[in-house]
Amino acid sequence: MPAALRKSVPHLVMMLYVAVILTPFLFVLFSSFKANNTEIALHPFGLPKSWKFSNYGEAWVKAKISVYFWNSLYLAATAAATGVLLSAATAFALTRMKFPRASAAIYQFVLIGMLIPGNVLFIAQYLLVRNLHILNTHWSLFLPYAAGALPLSVLLICAFMRSVPAELEEAAIVDGMRAPGIFVRVILPLTTPALVTVFIVNFLGNWNEYLLAQFFISKDALRTLPTGMVQFRDAFQTNYALVCTGIVFSVAPVAVLYGFLQRTIIEGLTAGSLKG
Amino acid sequence: MKTTLRNPYIYLAFIVPTIALYFLFFIYPMLTSAAYGFTDWNGLDRRNFIGFDNFVSAFGDADFRHSMFNNLYFILFSIFVQVPLIVVFSLLISSVKRLQGFYKTTVFLPSILSTSVIGILWGYMYNPDVGLIASVLRTFGLEPIYWLGESRWAMLAILIANAWQWMGFYIGLILAAILAIPKEIDEAARIDGAAGVQRAWYMTVPLIRPIINVVIMLSIAGALRVVDIVLVMTDGGPAGATDVMASYMVSKAIKFGDYGYGTALSIIIFAFALLLTALYQLAFARRQERVEY
Repeated sequence: MPAALRKSVPHLVMMLYVAVILTPFLFVLFSSFKANNTEIALHPFGLPKSWKFSNYGEAWVKAKISVYFWNSLYLAATAAATGVLLSAATAFALTRMKFPRASAAIYQFVLIGMLIPGNVLFIAQYLLVRNLHILNTHWSLFLPYAAGALPLSVLLICAFMRSVPAELEEAAIVDGMRAPGIFVRVILPLTTPALVTVFIVNFLGNWNEYLLAQFFISKDALRTLPTGMVQFRDAFQTNYALVCTGIVFSVAPVAVLYGFLQRTIIEGLTAGSLKG
Repeated sequence: MKTTLRNPYIYLAFIVPTIALYFLFFIYPMLTSAAYGFTDWNGLDRRNFIGFDNFVSAFGDADFRHSMFNNLYFILFSIFVQVPLIVVFSLLISSVKRLQGFYKTTVFLPSILSTSVIGILWGYMYNPDVGLIASVLRTFGLEPIYWLGESRWAMLAILIANAWQWMGFYIGLILAAILAIPKEIDEAARIDGAAGVQRAWYMTVPLIRPIINVVIMLSIAGALRVVDIVLVMTDGGPAGATDVMASYMVSKAIKFGDYGYGTALSIIIFAFALLLTALYQLAFARRQERVEY
């Protein structure tokens, strides 16, 4: 086999795979600008005859994608931030404060959470939020999302904080700083890269979460994007262009985030799964 | 000065909120699950302790057995279809210099998207009227197939959508392991005259076997708890044909209010997960020693 041909075989195979990955996205993107189902069915591969940008306005307002979008955004962000801050505080106490035996026990206790597959606790959590009378409020998602992030976040942040040299906080102690001051002004700034990674991993998990959001929330105005989208699909069964618009609204922010932070995201997600 | 990091009140202030939240949403549900699983509770009437009855009826429940087999299909499909493809694609990506980053980034993309959106997206691809697959079939003069509406196709359709979503994620894992192998080893093999395919099969694959085992384990764990994609694409239909253990559990609990039975099913899922993890540890733990270069 000539060298040039041998060199291009991997590229040919990978291009085929890349095409399989990207075709559905392009199909949805083109469909979202098309006028109606007939045009989608007759010209599945073609560009739209006339670009119907109005589909986007219609989906955003009439189909309440805007409501779902903001619900998802603020819930995912606040729950991820809460989870990261709680985990960071705990990791600080466990790795930097001098209570070795208690810390070792608490660390093991928190890691038990990683053994439990997510949806095994679904019914018990459902009954719990019902008993707390927060079913059908955003608390019923915020609290499990923040809690769900804890075991892995504590694990990852602890690993990172252990690598911070002790001399730094000794210097801070000499300067008269107390533990909370050391946490906020010495350790947090030093661990920011790890905290950002953990935040993004948690944020993506919350942004995409479906099971709890589907069954803990039934008020339409409170739905998040993944469940709102399914609702939207079922309601607009006959208007595929509009459904595709919804998909674009849901995929675009994640794709943009991914475009900027692909390294962090890939490393964060794969590290998370390996540790877990 | 030594007392600064030994203040127990500050220590508690840093730890108690986390532990409280963790206890409330992990440990407490775990304990109540263990308790509910042995009752006949339906959410309204008195709870009666019924021992192992729920577990006995679960294994006698033809619908649940059927959903267990669907989880098994997920496991078999990932081990025998996805993992070989994942390894081949990872080797291919690692073998090229140009476009390596592009391939990696692109194939990883679906795994960061919401499963519900993937389900909608593929439901649309499979749509017999306007879907892309139907359009392709039509150009060859074939009749469109109701992929998600016919029980003999629905499971395969879901498996393909699921593989499409997750393969890139595992490629990211394996690729990182391949790229961490020192270049010298590859060069030595090259000097010894090993061709590309030989180097891949006799050198790279053995070196990354530990991470392949991890990928198999993660795939099995994922296959046991799969639920979102089934709920979104078919909701377990047609007529329960695509129900998996978790979707069956959810529908028993939420639609029928059978909390006791549903919780027992979730304990069974948990037990399967523990069992397979333990089997894996027994089978592979000894071979898991780190590869030293």
